[in-house]
Amino acid sequence: MSNYFNTLPLREKLNQLGVCDFMDSSEFLDGVNALKGKKLVIIGCGAQGLNQGLNLRDSGLDVSYTLRKEAIEGKRDSWKNATENNFTVGTYEELVPTADVLINLTPDKQHTSVVNAVMPLMKQGATLSYSHGFNIVEEGMQVRKDITVIMVAPKCPGSEVRAEYVRGFGVPTLIAVHPENDPEGKGLDQAKAYCVGTGGHKAGVLKSSFVAEVKSDLMGEQTILCGLLQTGSILSFDKMIEKGIDAGYASKLVQYGVEVITEALKQGGITAMMDRLSNVAKIKAFEVSEELKTIMRPLFQKHQDDIMSGEFSRVMMEDWAAGDKNLLAWRAATGETAFEKTPAGNVKIGEQEYFDNALLMVAFVRAGVELAFETMVEAGIKPESAYYESLHETPLIANTIARKKLFEMNRVISDTAEYGCYLFDHACKPLLADFMTKVDTDLIGKNFNEGKDGAVDNRALISVNEVIRSHQVEVVGAELRKAMTAMKSIKTA
Amino acid sequence: MSQPVVHIAHFNLKYHQKPVLQDLSWVINRNDNWLLCGSSGTGKTSLAKAIAGLIPVHEGEVNINFHPESTLPAMVHYVANWYQFKDLEGASNFYYQQRYNSSVTVTTATVIAELEVYGKEYGLPSEEIEHILEALGFTALKNSPLIQLSSGEHKKLQLVKALWLKPQLLILDQPYNGLDSLSRKNLNILLEEIAAAGTQLILISNETELPAVINRFAEIRKGALKEVSFEERALDLVEEITKPVPSFLNNVSVSSTADHVIKMIDVNISYSGKQVLKNINWEVNSGEKWLLQGYNGSGKSTLLSLIAGDHPQAYSNNFYLFGNKRGTGESIWEIKERIGLISPELHWYFDASATVWQSIASGFYDSSGLFCNPGATKHKQVDELISYFGLTEYKNRLMNELPLGKQRLTLLARTIIKNPEILILDEPCQGLDQQQTQHFNKLVDELCKNGTTLIYVGHFESQLPSCLEKRILLENGEVKSVEPMLQTI
Repeated sequence: MSNYFNTLPLREKLNQLGVCDFMDSSEFLDGVNALKGKKLVIIGCGAQGLNQGLNLRDSGLDVSYTLRKEAIEGKRDSWKNATENNFTVGTYEELVPTADVLINLTPDKQHTSVVNAVMPLMKQGATLSYSHGFNIVEEGMQVRKDITVIMVAPKCPGSEVRAEYVRGFGVPTLIAVHPENDPEGKGLDQAKAYCVGTGGHKAGVLKSSFVAEVKSDLMGEQTILCGLLQTGSILSFDKMIEKGIDAGYASKLVQYGVEVITEALKQGGITAMMDRLSNVAKIKAFEVSEELKTIMRPLFQKHQDDIMSGEFSRVMMEDWAAGDKNLLAWRAATGETAFEKTPAGNVKIGEQEYFDNALLMVAFVRAGVELAFETMVEAGIKPESAYYESLHETPLIANTIARKKLFEMNRVISDTAEYGCYLFDHACKPLLADFMTKVDTDLIGKNFNEGKDGAVDNRALISVNEVIRSHQVEVVGAELRKAMTAMKSIKTA
Repeated sequence: MSQPVVHIAHFNLKYHQKPVLQDLSWVINRNDNWLLCGSSGTGKTSLAKAIAGLIPVHEGEVNINFHPESTLPAMVHYVANWYQFKDLEGASNFYYQQRYNSSVTVTTATVIAELEVYGKEYGLPSEEIEHILEALGFTALKNSPLIQLSSGEHKKLQLVKALWLKPQLLILDQPYNGLDSLSRKNLNILLEEIAAAGTQLILISNETELPAVINRFAEIRKGALKEVSFEERALDLVEEITKPVPSFLNNVSVSSTADHVIKMIDVNISYSGKQVLKNINWEVNSGEKWLLQGYNGSGKSTLLSLIAGDHPQAYSNNFYLFGNKRGTGESIWEIKERIGLISPELHWYFDASATVWQSIASGFYDSSGLFCNPGATKHKQVDELISYFGLTEYKNRLMNELPLGKQRLTLLARTIIKNPEILILDEPCQGLDQQQTQHFNKLVDELCKNGTTLIYVGHFESQLPSCLEKRILLENGEVKSVEPMLQTI
């Protein structure tokens, strides 16, 4: 199998990267009809598998699960999840041949073996659904020509997919049809019906392509979502320890700070996050983040270039073949960092204090979100796609850090994201070494406003606000967030 | 004479710029055990929180003097009228159907693990806990994860903790909410026990069955505390609302074509082998008015969750709704459209960041929170109902800013806004005062004249709508009896 994207002529590459249509709610008036009476069989019953299946069944669709023989015989967790909720469960041999739509919700890394195992069993004209395009785009999986290949990717963890559905809403969802596999032209209608079945149509649906999804998803997760959150957390913590801030306080400020800060991001974008700072602090955070953007831009560009050329996936798949040698070593090293090993102190930190005492982290988030977004857009990815893979997901990942720090974040995200995260982190820390020598506790650990009278120059403030507010990620974000205003805030701190 | 335990003088409290408590004074002496009553929204909870040090006192004085020689913990423990629990990661993002969805992933601690942590924190003797658990019928739940507890069971867990702690001063805010009659009786006995051992009590409640040790009674009226006699206490000064029911609720609701709207044949529900409903057979015909009863934990909520489309195990049972077998292509939203539901769980998990207006309007869509613009006709109906419930001045306030009683009125309005075919009212009047309860039950009678099917759960025999005709009693997950209601006059 060879990298699908690299087999395409430039014209077609640009064409597929540019598929990006934020769908109007009128596109979903047909409800779940395109899937009504069809047999939906889900492969895998982890968090996404179980929760999507519960939603689809509650929307009146016929859902069952297929698992590997060993999982059924060993009564593994996936088997228990499915049977305890009264779903029919069967082996590939038993259920795949009956499926009109086969939904692959197994981990990315298993896709090649899973798809190779089920493809011969699938009936003529059936549909295969993915929730991530890596297998098709980077591994170049060739699916039988009579089979329709679609993608439906809720942009939230599985538990949220369920929680939002039962409260009458949904989570933002990305859908796509693989142009090489749409023999009957039914792919889009089925993907739309699937979205209605999981409730996604109520929170905004972005029509994308397998290519655009993969190339933006990889970029987002490596740089801003996981990579920079990891680098920023560790550097901020280490700086505070170096400057004598109490370790328990430092640990708590970072662990919960990322979540509190990015909650503002979720509600109102970079603008809202920056507006939580005082005027003096905002101007400072702006300057610091501008400097960070200049330093880190080449690294963001390198990641995007390696993703586009397929170099990233080639190297990562070498590591898969070597039994995850690098991945496991890096994972272990993350577990050993001082930040990870210092428990959050039993100190009360007020909500505003998370902003005032962590100006550096606010600057990191702004720099990272804007850089990831800008770099993706420069590479031909449309702004809406870039928004979902940068700003939108940052609070979701920050939530995992609040729960149990970086080790937890890396456990929850896919192995692909984790691998890319370490690559970025290892390159980014040395890049910021000089910058960090200039950082003191006014930027991280203590209240930046302390000892300042708060006075600012009107024109300086106006021009800073102007730059923040007119950034394209803010303009696009304001539009997309309208569709998801009612999303529940996730809070741990 | 010894110093008073609590001494409050010239205490003022404002909420949203409106005075709630004005120049309030209250002296609680040793051997006093008080009942604090009054209508919803008069500031009872705020006063209790001020005594417990949970809200700051800006104007006036609130002094607490603990007994220097007492062996009991020198603290004021406040048991809120609301319960809270967290998952193992410290978050409390739950949804009300979650306990019916099985998942292997363990998300919350078990009751016993939770109690062990609590006991350790306060250094409590583990041998005393068994007695309390038994008295409140909690022993069988020791190994249940918190997420699986019903609202009544969560309430009991709160009480178990407080009774085990035995603080010098214990304030219980609406402790009887959600408790069945036997548990209420046993709670009173336990309270008498700890009072005898030296704990002083302040009870906030409108109940009539109280522990015998309660010897003083007070009411908050117009911001001030007034001592009343036992007899006076029951009098409520709120004027009865005599407004006519909004006309859009008088339209006959679309009636089902099937004779039986609900039909269950040998329905069974179990989690990991533990059976919670056993061979339930029950038929509800269109227009019937049912009372559903049973002790806490008897399976009432699970039974109702099946009807409301909230239980995944509905799909494997022989169970018909509106004449159709469940799992034959219907969506839960088609079911919910025809049902108006309120339950303690729905209230607990409801989106507290929605406004009163949005919350009521969300009843048209059966959602928790409003996600679309309802349009002019529905807009007008919401306004009418808000006015009928006397909530107009609160319409733009967030749910989590309002006292429990006002929240509950809002959700009751949400339940009936679409004039549904079936009303499922699971302890609808929890948190309301007696006046409000009577009034709501009258409204239910009124609404049900038009052929609405009613399933009503209420622990208090004296506080039921008069239209109820039949009674189904559950015990340990089984139907114990089905019988016609005796007409009470």
